Amino acid sequence: MGFGDLKSAAGLRVLNDFLADRSYIEGYVPSQADIAVFEAIGAPPPADLCHALRWYNHIKSYEKQKASLPGVKKALGKYGPADVEDTTGAAADSKDDDDIDLFGSDEEEESEEAKKLREERLAQYESKKSKKPAVVAKSSLLLDVKPWDDETDMAKLEECVRSIQADGLVWGSSKLVPVGYGIKKLQIQCVVEDDKIGTDMLEERITAFEDYVQSMDVAAFNKI
Amino acid sequence: GVGELVLLEKLLGLPKGNKYGVQGERQVPVLQTNNGPGLTGLMTIAAHLVKQAKKDQLLGCTAEEKAVVQQWLEYRVTRVGGGSSKEDTRIVLKDLNTHLEDKVYLAGNIFTLADILMYYGLHHVMVDLTVQEKEKYLNVSRWFNHIQHYPGVRQHLSNVVFIKNRLYTNAH
Repeated sequence: MGFGDLKSAAGLRVLNDFLADRSYIEGYVPSQADIAVFEAIGAPPPADLCHALRWYNHIKSYEKQKASLPGVKKALGKYGPADVEDTTGAAADSKDDDDIDLFGSDEEEESEEAKKLREERLAQYESKKSKKPAVVAKSSLLLDVKPWDDETDMAKLEECVRSIQADGLVWGSSKLVPVGYGIKKLQIQCVVEDDKIGTDMLEERITAFEDYVQSMDVAAFNKI
Repeated sequence: GVGELVLLEKLLGLPKGNKYGVQGERQVPVLQTNNGPGLTGLMTIAAHLVKQAKKDQLLGCTAEEKAVVQQWLEYRVTRVGGGSSKEDTRIVLKDLNTHLEDKVYLAGNIFTLADILMYYGLHHVMVDLTVQEKEKYLNVSRWFNHIQHYPGVRQHLSNVVFIKNRLYTNAH
């Protein structure tokens, strides 16, 4: 989450992209989330970032009411697109090193202190290392989605399938493959995070579109 | 026509009981009043209902906002309707997309009757747009998604789905 550094051009671009299809930072009404980001930006975004500028001017019109807008201000890293790394937390982590008193000991006990210090720092380094996220296991799936007959609207069917959104699911390319008697099946690719998405869940949600979908099969399943 | 006016009445919190009829080939809505021939025309009746509900801010506050609201109500009546061709619809979406590039609502920063009637008028169009078209008219999609979530607006109309991850292009 987060937009990166909102005072930089890169951060503003992330914000602009995020706001292209949204009126507000969170939900459908102005809230403290908008005020938090508005205050972080400071100045109006440049005119070429038209979505950010539109949002900025709109939130500015709520300036007088800002204290009464709903919600609670959270850290900036909590807002924005889910796939952007939260860089606001980086500053907090480096404070750990300051806790160790490097010059507190006198000469006689130095070797003891130095040893303790070294061991403490090693332990910290190890724990920081272990906090790094493990490589996420992903798989690439090819799904066959079959319609009821040759009159089924395949464009709508594809839209229904693509409308299925979940954390750890990304839709890829698709094509229509004839299976005979004028009927075409939709072959669509997707990448899933193994821990989060199961083929059962996908099948359930796809076949829920009963008007269009007759059945779904996994045509191919590859680990990546 | 009449259907929208009934939805509008509910949104405005007006009591039921108004009687509607239609007139002529183009099915222009008519509101029957107690004395006289009644009020004719979608825009006219809608504005009347807003005033009845004492929600005049929905017609705009500043002179400029009022003018913009009237402009889009007129647009709604003359350019958006059941009989529009595919080409007419394409032009409407293009006009709207351009207008909404730097605005959250049709009149700028406030929600007005223009947003309400354009939403009702365009619902049947938006329902049938493909994923690609919704991305092409990105500003219209953003505005439509916003309005359909505005309390009291959507009622029994179907929710139009807009996908969060943009598929076709990142350049806008």
